Amino acid sequence: MAQFALVIDLNTCVGCHACATNCKEWNTQAAFGPLSDFDPYGKEPQGVWYNRIMTYEMGEFPNTQVFHLPKSCLHCQDAPCVPVCPTGASYKREQDGIVLVNYDDCIGCKLCSWSCPYGCREFDEADKVMKKCTLCIDRIYDESLPPEHRKPACVLTCPAKARFFGDIEDPNSEVYRVIKERNGFVLFSDAGTNPGNHYLPRTETKVHVDEHLLKHDNPLFLEVLRRHHVGG
Amino acid sequence: MHPPISLIWFFLTAGVSIGLFTFTYFMEFLILFGKNTAMPRQAVIISLVISLILIGLGAIGASFHLGHKMRAWKAIKRFHTSWLSREAVFSGVYGFVLFLYGLAYYFNANPFIQHSLGILTFVLGWLSAFSTAMIYASNKFVLEWNTSLTVLYYLNMYLMLGSSAFLSLTYFYRPEFIPTYLFLTFLFVSLGLAFRIAFNIRQFIIPRPTINEALNLPHNRPIRVLDTGTTTNNYCTEEFYYKKGKDLLGSVLPVAYILTFIVPLFLIVYAWITGNYNYNFFKIAFASLVLGSFLERWCFFVEGNHVQNLFYGLYPEEGYRLRKGYMERKKTVIRL
Ligand code: SF4
Ligand code: SF4
Ligand code: SF4
Repeated sequence: MAQFALVIDLNTCVGCHACATNCKEWNTQAAFGPLSDFDPYGKEPQGVWYNRIMTYEMGEFPNTQVFHLPKSCLHCQDAPCVPVCPTGASYKREQDGIVLVNYDDCIGCKLCSWSCPYGCREFDEADKVMKKCTLCIDRIYDESLPPEHRKPACVLTCPAKARFFGDIEDPNSEVYRVIKERNGFVLFSDAGTNPGNHYLPRTETKVHVDEHLLKHDNPLFLEVLRRHHVGG
Repeated sequence: MHPPISLIWFFLTAGVSIGLFTFTYFMEFLILFGKNTAMPRQAVIISLVISLILIGLGAIGASFHLGHKMRAWKAIKRFHTSWLSREAVFSGVYGFVLFLYGLAYYFNANPFIQHSLGILTFVLGWLSAFSTAMIYASNKFVLEWNTSLTVLYYLNMYLMLGSSAFLSLTYFYRPEFIPTYLFLTFLFVSLGLAFRIAFNIRQFIIPRPTINEALNLPHNRPIRVLDTGTTTNNYCTEEFYYKKGKDLLGSVLPVAYILTFIVPLFLIVYAWITGNYNYNFFKIAFASLVLGSFLERWCFFVEGNHVQNLFYGLYPEEGYRLRKGYMERKKTVIRL
């Protein structure tokens, strides 16, 4: 069975939020309608976003690495959000594995969001329905667009070319190839959801911190390092 | 998790309704075995009317949880997979059959029809309660809820509310049953206390996933959240992590324990031992149980930690410390 999904390269993602911004732009104006905020221009904008970029730091100082993790609906192959939906508004398409919400059927009970281990669904306070990444289904099948534009908005906009889109079950596809070649992995692999979206791991860089180098570069930095070691 | 007041309201109304009906019909049922347990007609009718009104109010209250109330009927469409759908169907049909049973009782219908409807109402009521409990218990990603304890405890709470409500009816209509219902209330409240303590203890010993597992990265390196891609709270942080509630939990939980278990147990045991059946005791015990259960359900929600909080660095870390040895032994592929 086909499974359309995104593959995101954590080596090249620079955390610029362009994908998230263009996602909101496209989905606010196109067939999927307003992607509203609770209070879009007020003091406390609380947003519905299909795609959020989280930034993490790993390792112990000074050997740390920062990486960015764009996270949108992973279009799980065993999506736990689908069977719990009492109305059938949440469903997984047979032909391409895309998980969608039918806004006309959703009663806004929020149970699907409780069943997603990734926090990839958000309730739209303005429309009172559950929303999430549609894999830009209104772009990828739009025959009026030139073929090279029949891709999700976030993929097209990524300035670092960190995002790939395609059928991860099709051995001829680019996504299939990069997942295999570069050891693609999924989030929460133990959760039993079998996500479609994959991530390409970062290659490890070992940093040897030389005291002289630090001192030469920035005398204060050594002080910071010393303080860190004495726990100050 | 953010506690939805409408769902707590449904718990209380459905709980008293199904619990009260259970004991009311139980007394009728025993008559079939030649036992002299008939409650006066007036008592039965009052109890049935209260049960019916409560389940109606419960359904109305629960609909406030929905974004689109007018579409609520659509919730019956996925009966074969969704516990929420099952809850909607069973509680709706429970209310309807309860109404039919009330009519049959009121018009003195043929005993066979009466008892068939009575048994059906009883079964539907408990199926509805079971389905509600399963909505929580079947959620794999809120580990505090994901246990059969949630179901047992939930059903016991219904019996606790029902038996203490029925105590008032026995006081007015069949005082000779007071000791029986004092005992039953004592039994269910004590069981409730035991389940609650077990539920709380379990929270400290469940093995919890870590942010490393969520991100599928090596287990032996610390990971810190630097930025969550959002400058304010969003749906995820509001719905799955309720900061105000977490701050209050330490003060609310003891009050919930006292009101739900300690006060009713004290009053019941006192009445039981001294034989002083003062109606005020029963009234206060019931009121305390209802108020306590409200707070207890509030705590139940706030105590629930959704694993998606890991991505926001808002998941409790105790599990990590407890499991540290295990985590380090786990074979991991170093990817970063
Ligand atoms: S990521 Fe969440 S919302 Fe998307 S398919 Fe998986 S469980 Fe459902
Ligand atoms: S919020 Fe909507 S899509 Fe989600 S489970 Fe409820 S009805 Fe289904
Ligand atoms: S595929 Fe479309 S909807 Fe999904 S994150 Fe990308 S732009 Fe947003």
